[in-house]
Amino acid sequence: MPTSAIIVLILFSALLAAVLVLRPTITAHPSGKVLAFGVLFFLPLFCLTAGMNNEMERSKSTSFCLSCHIMEPYGKSLRVDDPSYLAAAHFQNHRVPADQACYTCHTNYAMFGTFKAKLGGLRHLYVHYLKTEPHPQDIQLHEPYNNRECLHCHLGARSFEQGAVHNADPDTLPAVKANKLSCISSGCHDVVHNVGALDKVKLWTEGKP
Amino acid sequence: MSHTGRMHGTLRVSGALVILGLLVEAVCLLWSRPIAFVIFAGLGGFLIAAGVLLFLYSLVFVAGREEEAVAADKNEAG
Repeated sequence: MPTSAIIVLILFSALLAAVLVLRPTITAHPSGKVLAFGVLFFLPLFCLTAGMNNEMERSKSTSFCLSCHIMEPYGKSLRVDDPSYLAAAHFQNHRVPADQACYTCHTNYAMFGTFKAKLGGLRHLYVHYLKTEPHPQDIQLHEPYNNRECLHCHLGARSFEQGAVHNADPDTLPAVKANKLSCISSGCHDVVHNVGALDKVKLWTEGKP
Repeated sequence: MSHTGRMHGTLRVSGALVILGLLVEAVCLLWSRPIAFVIFAGLGGFLIAAGVLLFLYSLVFVAGREEEAVAADKNEAG
C-alpha cells in the first residue's frame, strides 16, 4: 500500500474519531455503535498494521540506512571504483538489489533474521542518541560475518562452485560451506568497506563509463 | 456521573488517544528517519493500543453496568 494512501486513510480515521469525540451521543443509535467499533477498533488497527508494514519495507532501503550521518562513509564505499572492494562490486554490478544493498548483506538469513536486524537497528539508535558514537572506521559487526549470508546467493552458482581458487585445495569449498573458513576474513575477500582508506580511492559515478 | 455519561467520557478519552496515535503515525510516515520508525512503533503503537483497549474495556465493563442499571430501574418500576 503506498505511503500516501496510508496517510489519507489515517487522516480519514482521525476525522471520524474526532466526530465520535465531539458527539459521543451518536453511539445511542445502533449505526453509531457500528461507527464507534469501526473507528475505535478496526480502522486504527488496520492503519497501524499497514503503516508498520510500510515502515518495515522502508527500513530495508539503502537510503534509510545511509540517512544516519555515521553511515555516510559506508554509503561512499559502495561507489569505490575498484572491483576488489567487495561491497562496491556487489552494489555496482547489482549482485544485490541496489535499493536494499545494506539489508541484503547485513540480514541474518535464518528464521528471525529480519527481526534480529531490526533489534540491531534499535541498538544503533540507542548508541547514536544516548552513548558516544565510535568513528565510522571503528564500527565492528556484533558477531563475525557468517558465510551463510554469502551462500544465500552464491551457493550453487557456477562461479562459486567451479571457481579456480575455490577448487585449488579440495578442503576449501567444504570449509567455506561449513562456515569454518570465512569468505571475508581469511585473506580472500577481505576488502569489504574499508572506510578508513576512502580518501585514497577513486569513486565511481553512475552513468559515466 | 450517570453510566451513560461515564460511557461517553470513556469513548471521548479512547477517541482522543486513537486520534493522537494516528497523528503520530502520519507524521512518522512522512518523516523518513530511523528515529521515526521507533516513534511510530513505540509512541504511535502505544497510543493506538491504549485507545483501542480502553474502548474494549468500556464495551465490556461500562456498557455492561449501564445495562444492569437500566434493568434494575425497570424492575423497580415494575
